[in-house]
Amino acid sequence: MEKKSMKGYIYLMPALIVILLFTAYPLIRAFLMSFYEDYNMISGEYSRIGLGNYKDLFGDKDFTKALRNTSIYVVFVVPCSIALSLLIAVLLNSNIKCQGLFQTIFFLPYVTSVIAIGLVWSWIFNSNYGLLNIILSWFGIDKVQWLNKPKYALPSLIIFSVWKSMAFDILIFLAGLQTIPKDLYNASRVDSTPRWRVFWKITVPGIAPMISYAFIMGFISAFKVYNEVFSLWGGKAGPANSAITVVYYIYDKFYNSHNYGLASAAAVILFLIILVLTIVQRMMGRKK
Amino acid sequence: MKLKKGLAVALTATMAFSTLTGCSNNGSNNETTTNGTTPSETTSVAESTSATETTGNAVVADNGIEPCTIEFWHAMSNKQEEELTALTDKFNAENEYGITVNLTNQGAYKDLSSKLTANAAADTLPDLAQAYNNWLSAYSDKLVHLDDFVANDFDNWDDIVAGYRDENSQFGFISGVPFNKSTYVLFYNKTMFDELGLSAPLTWDELLEVAKVIKDEKGIEAIGWDDLAGMFQAMLVQNGCGYIDETGALFDNEKGLETVEYIMNLYNNGYARLVGEDKYFSNVISNQLIASYVGSSTGASYITADGWELGVAPLVSNTEMAANAAGTNIVMFSQDTNKQKAAWEYLKFLTSAESTTEWAMATGYLPVRTSAYESETYQTFMATDPTSVAAYSQSAYFISQPAFEGSYDVMTAISNTLEEQILNEADAQTTLDALVKAVNDILQK
Amino acid sequence: MSKKRKIMNIIATVLKYAILILGALFTLMPFLWMIISSLKTPAEITAIPPKLLPSVPQWSNYAEAWKAAPFPRYFLNTIIVTIFSTIGVLATAILSAFAFSRLNFPGKKLVFSLFLATLMIPGEMLIITNFITITKLKWIDTYQAMIVPYMSNVFYIYLLTQFFSQVPDSLYLAAKVDKCSDFKFMMKIMVPMNKSAITTIAILNIIGCWNSFLWPLLVTNDRNMRVISNGLVRFQTEAGSDYQLIMAASTIMVMPIIIVYLFLRKYIIEGVTQSGLKS
Repeated sequence: MEKKSMKGYIYLMPALIVILLFTAYPLIRAFLMSFYEDYNMISGEYSRIGLGNYKDLFGDKDFTKALRNTSIYVVFVVPCSIALSLLIAVLLNSNIKCQGLFQTIFFLPYVTSVIAIGLVWSWIFNSNYGLLNIILSWFGIDKVQWLNKPKYALPSLIIFSVWKSMAFDILIFLAGLQTIPKDLYNASRVDSTPRWRVFWKITVPGIAPMISYAFIMGFISAFKVYNEVFSLWGGKAGPANSAITVVYYIYDKFYNSHNYGLASAAAVILFLIILVLTIVQRMMGRKK
Repeated sequence: MKLKKGLAVALTATMAFSTLTGCSNNGSNNETTTNGTTPSETTSVAESTSATETTGNAVVADNGIEPCTIEFWHAMSNKQEEELTALTDKFNAENEYGITVNLTNQGAYKDLSSKLTANAAADTLPDLAQAYNNWLSAYSDKLVHLDDFVANDFDNWDDIVAGYRDENSQFGFISGVPFNKSTYVLFYNKTMFDELGLSAPLTWDELLEVAKVIKDEKGIEAIGWDDLAGMFQAMLVQNGCGYIDETGALFDNEKGLETVEYIMNLYNNGYARLVGEDKYFSNVISNQLIASYVGSSTGASYITADGWELGVAPLVSNTEMAANAAGTNIVMFSQDTNKQKAAWEYLKFLTSAESTTEWAMATGYLPVRTSAYESETYQTFMATDPTSVAAYSQSAYFISQPAFEGSYDVMTAISNTLEEQILNEADAQTTLDALVKAVNDILQK
Repeated sequence: MSKKRKIMNIIATVLKYAILILGALFTLMPFLWMIISSLKTPAEITAIPPKLLPSVPQWSNYAEAWKAAPFPRYFLNTIIVTIFSTIGVLATAILSAFAFSRLNFPGKKLVFSLFLATLMIPGEMLIITNFITITKLKWIDTYQAMIVPYMSNVFYIYLLTQFFSQVPDSLYLAAKVDKCSDFKFMMKIMVPMNKSAITTIAILNIIGCWNSFLWPLLVTNDRNMRVISNGLVRFQTEAGSDYQLIMAASTIMVMPIIIVYLFLRKYIIEGVTQSGLKS
């Protein structure tokens, strides 16, 4: 790489301007708001500056529940979705019949109306005649109250979200697979390397940057899960609030309770958690 | 070409940025603009023409109104929007002052609420908007006080249904006029009730008896509530007990325990159920999987009574009567006197006996005036519409959701706590303690 | 080929198709459900247990959905916003990704981390401040209010940086020797080589624009400036929703995207063969 110069900033300028104005500035404001106690965003009034919102936040059992739920959610959804998507993407990219048709089908969840998706999944999860319980009954498993009982709320949300995030991951992996030179595969075919070896030695290293991207972005968006909750239970966070997530909490406090300071404090905490985890992830990625 | 465009964007952005930082330097304590510091162009013109009064309490004078345009943001769609448009067109054509009301649909309630919040923060609120009081607590200081208008220029405020008058005075002044109002009623499967020799329950005791028969004969739950917090509030009042206020729970007493006992008894014995995965009870009753449910009177159109007849009854009562009122009011934000007067003309028009009757008949909402209920036109309509009969019979006992800082959180907490306790099949004392704690944790910090 | 290997091959192929077909069915279901539901009556749509097919397809749902809002105008607005925003997003993403992956400048790692950090706060928190900014710019009821704030997207910048960093350094050095300017190198080599990634970003952004709802609603008051997703909420009220009409409108809304996808799909899949470029 060439020596340092300021030229890079010229290339960054257009993005920088938009980000500074429409992301960085409101972000800094949100950060400041988290220290204003009894803050009313509309009148601009607050009682004092301090850590009161953070104290309230960790005293609120809804928030601690949201943090716990979100962490469990992230741990399950991200790896599952990436593993399954990788499998499907590799299969889609292999020599199959109706390749175009399959690729289009796996892309569809990304464009289907959220309301439609929510409706179908509430049917799949329905305790009495839902598809999932029908399949489980073949194995002699009793009816599960997927959406009705708090203890199944999070598992339902996770299953649904894995399905939902796959379309994006598949699309990224498919694009990544195109950057692997075909001759590498041809060479392996000649000396008849086993498939799994080809996968580990050529495919995975070839799309390693996309996998790391999918992991980091997956983490970030999984931490911000909100719409999935909304569409599965039609506007509430599961039975007795059992599937509440951090962003659901933030949204509710901001737009419904008008508790701007508390919502901002929650957003800052979320920000810090994601930041630390991303740094750790990137450091781990570099070591490899 | 590309460079020029980029430069233009950069310039605008820098300009914007400097205005923003400039603003925040003005005083960190008052970051967003205050009333009148950055009036939009339209208001500044209007203000210069008639700048006698600015904000706060409007003083009604006898002089005429200058022609102007009033912005009205609403969340009505389909036939409701059609009817609102028809009424508004009529007002625009017929009013003697040259006032034009401009209707804007701002999505569903949730969207309208977000939109109002954002515009309150930017100080660009419309002249009129539909709103629930709950949305407004963060910016109730931006509401125009309508007391003087009501006192000097309104045809009989006492004719407005009492519950609505109370609701529109929750902030300590008259903050709006009732508009698309509905109430919770009991929808029941009349065919099933008739078959079992039952009639719609009127009291708590009757409900319990009916529920036993239905459970034994049909094996399904007798009743469900779409809105748990609303159910709890109404039942407390029906039992002569308080609900909540700014200081905390008012039901931590014998009457409260009785109420919770009654409720938990219904659920724990399988007489009542939660809506759960079915989302709306209108779906459940349509499929005859529940015998009755309590929900908004406007929900009638979502019930498909195929092969059975739908009955509608008022809510049950115990020592007292109480029924939840729902639906929004129209509030005023205009800061300019002339517009306030013009907007008031429109509100008078919408709440007139004639308009409210027409509105109610076309949309399934309820008239806001007692005289409208009693009018011959509406009485004729009621003969064909059982929902309005049930609504009318309880119109003297309407209660509305409390609206104060934190009231939204409290109601959400009540709803979640009740649901949790019902799922746990908890006893009455445990449930009551959990409810009291949930409420007081929020309000007594 | 040995016999054992042949059998293994057959098993692998069967397994492959089994996974794909099962996955495809699972994926396709909500989409089909949306179309089927759009043809049902209100009673059929809420039937318990659900009815698979409508007894008589209610094509009139489409007519009713179509007339509920000025959809042609909404389509036009959505197309305008989508096109300009996508062009903007691609331009800023290509330039930034090039800077991050090829150029060396002071504070590069820090700036990149800060870029990433902006993703870590939920967008819902930023909306009101941005709305105030738009109001101050007097951009209410304009297209730029819907386009400019979304002209730069760190998700895509990061993605493209990952792709750009895959291009071998040798190519860049060779270009330097040939006295090829950075900009020219970017346009002539980096962009064509990453056609599939750029197309992917375009598709993702088009879908995002197409579906964005709250922001366009916030920054417009004029009915003629609204976008199609704003038309969908017209079938929801506090007491229930006309699902059959929502589904019909959703189907109408989704079709153009699927057509765009089908059109662009070949660019995603037919990546440029690198062997061709190397020589």
